[in-house]
Amino acid sequence: MIDKPNLEVGIAGIKLKNPVMTASGTFGYGQEYTPFVDLNRLGAIILKGITLKPKKGNPPPRIIETPSGMLNAIGLQNVGVEILIKEKLPYLKKFNTPVIINISGDTIEEYMELVRRLEEVSKEMGVAGLEVNISCPNVKKGGMTWGTEAKATYKIVSTIRKVTTLPLIVKLTPNVTDIKIIAQAAEEAGADALSLINTLVGMAVDIDSRKPKLANVSGGLSGPAIKPVALWMVWQVFQTVNIPIIGIGGIIKVEDALEFIIAGARAIEIGTANLVNPQTTVEIIEGIEKYLMENNIKDINELVGSMKI
Amino acid sequence: MSTILNKKIKILSKKEVAPNIYLAKLKAPEISQEALPGQFIHIKCSKDNYPLLRRPISIHRIDKEKGEIYILFQIVGEGTKLLSQRAVGDDLDVIGPLGNGFNIYPESKKIMMIGGGIGVAPLLALCEESIRQDKEVRVLIGALKKELIVGEENFRILGAKIDVAADDGSYGYKGLVTDLLEEIITKEGWLPDQIFTCGPKPMLKKIVEISLHSHIDCQVSLEERMGCGIGACLGCVCKIKTKDKKEDKVKYEFKRVCIDGPVFEGSEVVWDD
Ligand SMILES: Cc1cc2nc3c(=O)[nH]c(=O)nc-3n(C[C@H](O)[C@H](O)[C@H](O)COP(=O)(O)OP(=O)(O)OC[C@H]3O[C@@H](n4cnc5c(N)ncnc54)[C@H](O)[C@@H]3O)c2cc1C
Ligand SMILES: Cc1cc2nc3c(=O)[nH]c(=O)nc-3n(C[C@H](O)[C@H](O)[C@H](O)COP(=O)(O)O)c2cc1C
Ligand code: FES
Repeated sequence: MIDKPNLEVGIAGIKLKNPVMTASGTFGYGQEYTPFVDLNRLGAIILKGITLKPKKGNPPPRIIETPSGMLNAIGLQNVGVEILIKEKLPYLKKFNTPVIINISGDTIEEYMELVRRLEEVSKEMGVAGLEVNISCPNVKKGGMTWGTEAKATYKIVSTIRKVTTLPLIVKLTPNVTDIKIIAQAAEEAGADALSLINTLVGMAVDIDSRKPKLANVSGGLSGPAIKPVALWMVWQVFQTVNIPIIGIGGIIKVEDALEFIIAGARAIEIGTANLVNPQTTVEIIEGIEKYLMENNIKDINELVGSMKI
Repeated sequence: MSTILNKKIKILSKKEVAPNIYLAKLKAPEISQEALPGQFIHIKCSKDNYPLLRRPISIHRIDKEKGEIYILFQIVGEGTKLLSQRAVGDDLDVIGPLGNGFNIYPESKKIMMIGGGIGVAPLLALCEESIRQDKEVRVLIGALKKELIVGEENFRILGAKIDVAADDGSYGYKGLVTDLLEEIITKEGWLPDQIFTCGPKPMLKKIVEISLHSHIDCQVSLEERMGCGIGACLGCVCKIKTKDKKEDKVKYEFKRVCIDGPVFEGSEVVWDD
């Protein structure tokens, strides 16, 4: 048995002590989880999606449970980048874990201004990288439209690339006909890594009132229900691009995380599972280490994309 | 704020106290020490991942000496049904205590509590605390019919004056509990310094109207569907007026029931449906 396998991975030039990160929107601004998780243990912390200006979000009900998953229509409620910088990032600086900011915008200009601002403060505030959300299904303008068309993806990513040297992760939506084309466009535009998948658009109906169960009518499906879809997409994209992939979708236990890694993900993000069991991240880190030891694998990187077919 | 814990707590006893309404006693040495009236716990209803999300349930009684808490809950769907089927001796995976809790002002002498249906759940702990602080407490319980009025005796034992109202006239005051409240204030002339209430939204809305009219401070406990329960996912919001009241139009923001609430000043809530 291996004594101490290597869990360290590199993503977009960011060194992670292990491949486990938190998925945007399910881990708040990090601090909320300190009663349950030593933030120093995490590979990276990805924060709730941020926009240039604060956003009110959608009316309630915003979430509803569905078979093996949930629909959410938060509508990107967030404090805006200035409060993020002033009130949220200082707290995270004391941890020895890279902080990645998930960003959203309605227009190209908004993305650019947001990225410039984050670039400006990145050294001082410890911003390790950006995850560009071009895939939010729950906002009217912008949001997902950037991620459903290859040309738009290329445009937004290449524009952001020009205004920042920060590591750039592009987060893809599964709500497309062919994710490979979008992935390619993002790579060509200068993305350092890709993360996938965001939520799948769905809905639920109350048969008594005949109203949609979400005030927003539609929402994004997440949780175990989407894992097979996410895995298939990661595997397809893995065969298409040369940049690292971060796997996301329905990971609630170590076996799920390993599936993603074997299918080509160099790192993974945990989302909905944080809401259910706030210690999921740490349990999965420990589980991965155990798996590597038991299977005599010296380095997690050997496992990435090792699927046998 | 109290320390939030994720614990496995044992079900010590369980009883169906009314049709589909259960009272359970839980061994919670740490959580009971931290808990405040009006707070809740976030419960994993089953041992596996169905249902996936936790369900929020108020802390009904706090027994710090014995290290126990009680919950009172009604079966309305799968989660609460599975919870009701958990056996005595089982460990429940819970996170808590969560939320802000009720705020009893030191200067208040007379306190009114109003529970609609299962909304009485968080009020018993509050009643116990108010009586401990030597307040004069009156409790109104409203429900659709007699069988669904729960906890009447428990409030009485604590020393509160209690009135009940069944909508169908089968017990106590015939009519809505909000009409009863109006009668107590206007006819009887019993004016409380504070009102605390929990129950269906239309009831809360009406009680807030009455309280504003009579200039009584009123705190309401709201419910919303929850994800994390700890303020991270923004799934559980309600509309709360913002402080800036310069413009005529009511301005509001979405606040999280799980951490900014579940207790809000009645006057701050925007009731739009
Ligand atoms: C802070 C807080 C404290 C609560 N305390 C208690 C309590 O002490 N006792 C108790 O019986 N119930 C309490 N509730 C309500 C309880 O959480 C819901 O009844 C429960 O989550 C329903 O789960 P389910 O799986 O059984 O039903 P589901 O299948 O999820 O839903 C069944 C029906 O219940 C309603 N519902 C679902 N979730 C909620 C919710 N979070 N709030 C309001 N309505 C909901 C829906 O309209 C739906 O039609 C509380 C809710 C909150 C937010
Ligand atoms: C409540 C909630 C809020 C989310 N908010 C964001 C967000 O702000 N930005 C983003 O890129 N993704 C957001 N997501 C998507 C998740 O980051 C993740 O991609 C998705 O939930 C799939 O992973 P999971 O099945 O592990 O949850 C959110 C998901 C949930 C459930
Ligand atoms: S339930 Fe997640 S913020 Fe309230």
